[in-house]
Amino acid sequence: MAQFRDVVLDPAKRRHYQLAWLSTVDHKRIGVLYMLTGLFFFIVGGVEALFIRLQLAVPNNHFLDPDTFNKLFTLHGTTMIFLVAMPLLFGFVNYILPLQIGARDMAFPRLNAFGYWCQPFGGILLHFSILAGGAPAVGWFSYAPLSETPYSSSPGVDYWAIALFVLGLGTISFAVNTIATVISCRGPGVTMRRLPLFTWMNFCNSFLILIALPLLNAGLAMILIDRRLDGHFFLPFRGGSAVLWQHIFWAFGHPEVYIVVLPAFGMVSEIIPVFSRKPIFGYEFVAASTVAIVVLSSLVWGHHMFTVGMGRPMDVFFAITSMLIAIPTGVKVLNWSATMVGGRIRFRAPMLFCIAFLIQFTLAGLTGISHASTALDWQTKNSYYLVAHFHFVFVGAIVFAMLAALPYWFPKMSGRMMSDSLGRWTFWLWVIGFNMTFIIQHVLGLNGMPRRIFTYPDIPGWGWMNMVSTIGVFFMSAGSLVLLWNIAHSFFRGKVAGDNPWDAWTLEWATTSPPPQENFVALPPVHSRRPLWDLANRDRPDPVVGDDQVVLPNHNQVGILAFIFSEIGFFGALILTYIYFYAHPQSGPGPKGLDLPRTLSFSVCLFASSLTFWRAEIALHKQRRGSMLCWLALTIMLGAVFLGGQANEYWKLFQSGVDLSTNMFATSFFTLTGFHGLHVLIGLLTLLIFLWMAWEGDSVSAKFRSAFNCVGYYWHFVDVVWVFVLFTVYLLPLLR
Amino acid sequence: MTTYQFVTTAWTWNSIVLSLVVVSGVGYWFSFGRRGRPLYFASAVVVFLLALISPLSVLANGYVFSAHMVQHILLVLVVPALFLLSLPQSFSVRSPLTHPLIGWIAGVGAMWLWHAPALCNAAATSRIVSAIQTTSLLLMGSIFWWQVLAPREDQRLSPPAGIVYLFTACTACSVLGIVLTFAPVSICPVYQHPVDRLGILSTIRGDWGLTSDRDQQIGGLLMWVPMCAIYAAAILAQMARWHSSPQPEQSSA
Repeated sequence: MAQFRDVVLDPAKRRHYQLAWLSTVDHKRIGVLYMLTGLFFFIVGGVEALFIRLQLAVPNNHFLDPDTFNKLFTLHGTTMIFLVAMPLLFGFVNYILPLQIGARDMAFPRLNAFGYWCQPFGGILLHFSILAGGAPAVGWFSYAPLSETPYSSSPGVDYWAIALFVLGLGTISFAVNTIATVISCRGPGVTMRRLPLFTWMNFCNSFLILIALPLLNAGLAMILIDRRLDGHFFLPFRGGSAVLWQHIFWAFGHPEVYIVVLPAFGMVSEIIPVFSRKPIFGYEFVAASTVAIVVLSSLVWGHHMFTVGMGRPMDVFFAITSMLIAIPTGVKVLNWSATMVGGRIRFRAPMLFCIAFLIQFTLAGLTGISHASTALDWQTKNSYYLVAHFHFVFVGAIVFAMLAALPYWFPKMSGRMMSDSLGRWTFWLWVIGFNMTFIIQHVLGLNGMPRRIFTYPDIPGWGWMNMVSTIGVFFMSAGSLVLLWNIAHSFFRGKVAGDNPWDAWTLEWATTSPPPQENFVALPPVHSRRPLWDLANRDRPDPVVGDDQVVLPNHNQVGILAFIFSEIGFFGALILTYIYFYAHPQSGPGPKGLDLPRTLSFSVCLFASSLTFWRAEIALHKQRRGSMLCWLALTIMLGAVFLGGQANEYWKLFQSGVDLSTNMFATSFFTLTGFHGLHVLIGLLTLLIFLWMAWEGDSVSAKFRSAFNCVGYYWHFVDVVWVFVLFTVYLLPLLR
Repeated sequence: MTTYQFVTTAWTWNSIVLSLVVVSGVGYWFSFGRRGRPLYFASAVVVFLLALISPLSVLANGYVFSAHMVQHILLVLVVPALFLLSLPQSFSVRSPLTHPLIGWIAGVGAMWLWHAPALCNAAATSRIVSAIQTTSLLLMGSIFWWQVLAPREDQRLSPPAGIVYLFTACTACSVLGIVLTFAPVSICPVYQHPVDRLGILSTIRGDWGLTSDRDQQIGGLLMWVPMCAIYAAAILAQMARWHSSPQPEQSSA
C-alpha cells in the first residue's frame, strides 16, 4: 500500500509511470495492457448484453425500440469477439509465451506495441459510430446487401468495417510476431518438440490467423469500396453477389472460432496437468490434433451457409468436413480427462473453471455436431438454439478458460495470489448464471424462437423461459463484480506468491513474480517438457525428449516470410473474386479492351526490378557500396516506371468513361490492380528509405543487411503477385 | 442400361494396362523380393486397376467429370504414395528431380496443368493423350511424394518442413478445387454433352441425378475436400514421425 501511495501521489513518479506504460515495448506490460483493454470492453459488451436480455425478459416489451436493439446485438457480438476475446487471449499469450520459451522479449517489441495500440484504436472507431450518425445495425457478420449503402445509409457499417480492418492489422502483426518469437527466440534447450502446449497451440494458432484474417481484410476492403467508391461487389441488382460476401466472411469466420478457442485450449492444457499433479496425457496427440484443427478449420465454413442454398453437393461435403473436425477436438477432451484420471486433483479456482470448461465445452461440441447435419441445421439455424450453441463455445469454453487462466497466472504477473474463496464465489455465480441463461435457450430455439427479434408475442412457455434466461445474466454480472473486486483487492492485499506458488513445471515459474525487465537472470537446464519438475526431482527426472539442436533462424526473415504468407491470402481472395466476376461477364468494358502491349512493356520493368534488386544484394554482400547504390536506384526507377505505366492505364480508362462503378469488371479490376499498385508504392517508399540510409553510410552493419534482405523478399513477392495478376487479368482472355 | 448392368459389365480389360501390371509385379518381385513391402505394392496395383479398368474408368472417359476427378486423385496421390511405401528401406535415388521445389511444382502442376480446358478435353477424348496423362500423373505424383515418403529417412524433408510442404501444396490444390466448384462455365466441356457410346447417359443424368453442373461441382469439391483430407492425413503422419524420432536430428541449417 505504501508503494501504491508513492506511485499515485508523487506527481513526478506518476508522470514517469504513465509514460512508461504508454510508451512501453516490454511484452509483459503490453500483455497487461491487452488484458486491461479486453477487460474494459468486456464490461462494455456485458452491459450491452444486459440491455438485450432486459428487453427480452418479458413478452411484448418496449423497453428498447427495434433499431436500438439491432445496434445493441451488432455491437455486442463485434465487441465480444474482436475487442474482448481476442485482446484478452492475446494479452495472456503476450505475457506468458516469451516466458515459457525462455525468451527475453517478443521478436519485434515495437511491432508488438503497434499491434496492441490497434486494439483501443479499433475499439474507439467502432464505438465512435454511435456519435457519428448511428451504430451499425446489421449483425456481427454484416450480411450484404443489408450492409450496403442502399439499405444501411448511416456511416455505422463504414466504422464497423474500418474498425475491424484496424483490428485485423493488429492481429496479423501479433501473429507474425508470435511465429517469429517461437522460431527465433527460444532459450537454450527449448527445442520445438519440448514447447509447452500453451506455446505450441498459440504457435499453430498464429498460422491460422495468417490464413483467416487477410480474407476478412479483403472482404472489408471490398465492402468499403462498395460503400464509399460506389463499387458493387455484393450488390445483386448491379451484378454483384451477396453470397460472395458470405463465403468470404465465413472463410474467415469459421477459422476465427478456432482462433479464439485454440489459446483457450492451450490454457487448459497447462492448468489441468499442474492441478492433477500429472504430466499431460498424450502430449503428442494434443499437439498433433492442434495441427489437424488448423488444417481442417479452413475447410468447414460452408456449414454456416446450409440455408443459403449452395446445392446438395456442397451441403454434403461441408457436413462431412464439419463432422470430421469434431475428431481432433474430441481427442483433446479425452486427453484432458485422462490427465485427471488417477491424479491428485487440487480443487482450487483455476481447476474448478477447467472442469467447468470441460463439461460446458463438450456440450457445446455436441450441439455443434448437430449443426453439421444439414437437415437439422435447416430447422435450427437462426433460432435461439444456435445462439445457445455459440454462447456455449464462447462463454462456456473461452471465458471459462480465461477465468481459469487468470488466477493461475495472476501470481506471476502481480506477485500476489488471488483469493481462492472469492474465486469460488465467481465460479459458482458464473456456472449457475451461465447455465440458467443458455441451457434454456436451446429449448426456446427448438420451440421456434428466432434470433435477433427485439420482442415476441406471449406464446405459452416463452415468457418464463426468457425470464429465467435474463435472471441468469444477473448471476453472471454478480460473478463479474466479485471477480473485479478480487483482482483489485488481490493486487494490493493478496498473499505474496513467491516464484512458483502452484509447483508448476514450465519455465515461466523459474523467474521471480513479477519477472524482472529482462525476464530471467539465468535459465535452468531444459531436457524435457517439464524443466522445473526435473530441477525439483533430481532423482527421478522426466525422460529426455526432443533432444534436437536448437536452430534459431534470423527473426527478421521469419517475420517477413510470415507477413508474406498472410499477403498471399489477401491477394488470393482478390484474384478469386476477380475470376468469379470474370466468369459472369456483364455488358460494358471487359478485359479485352485493355491495352496488352503497353501493360506487357511496363510489366517487364517490374520483373527487371527484381533482377536489379538481386544485383544490389550481391553488391552489398561484396561490400561494393557504389555499385549497390546504383543497382538500388535502378530498381527504384524501374518500379516507378511500372507505377507510371499503371497510372497511365488508369488515366486512359477514366478518359474513356470507365471507372470503379461502371460494371463488375471495372470494380474488380481496379480493386485488384489498385491494391497491387499500393503494395508496389509501399515497396518503393521502403526502398527509398534504404537508399537514403545507404547514402548516409549505414550500409555495412549486419542489421542493415538483414533488413535489406527482408525488403528484398517483399519486393520479389510483389513482383510474383504481378505474374498472377498479369495472367488472370490480361492473358486469360487470350486463351478463350 | 441399369446401374447394376453398368457396374457388372463396364470393365475395360485393357491389355496394355494388364500387361504393365504383370511386368511391374514380376519386376518388383525380382528386384526387391521380400526386402520390400509387397502388401503396399499389391494395394498400389489394386488402386491402379480400380482407376483404369473398373467402371470408374469408363465414366471418367468422357462421361462424368467427378469420376474423372476420382481417377485423377487416385493416380496422382494414392498410387504413387503406396508405391513409394512399398520400396525397401535401402532404396535410394540420386537425381535433380528430388529437389523439394521440383517436387512441389510437380505435385501442384499435376493438378493445375491437366485441368486447363484444352488438355482436360483432349485427355477425355483421345486415348493417346489419356495414356500420356496417366503416365505423367504417376510420375509427377511420385516426384511429389518422394519428399515425404522416400524410403530412406535422410532423403526426406524434416517433419516440420514436410508439414509446410504438404500444407502449401494442399492450399494450392484447394484453390483449383474452389475455382472448379464455383465456375459457372464448364472447365472440361466434353463432360457437358458426352457422346453416349454405351447408352448410359440417361442412367447418369436421370437415376443418379448427375446434371452436368452438379457433376462439375462435385468434381471441384472432390479436389477441394477429400484431397485435402489426404494431405491432412500426411501432415498428421509427419507429426507422428517427428514426435517418434528418438535420435537427435541432423540439422542442415
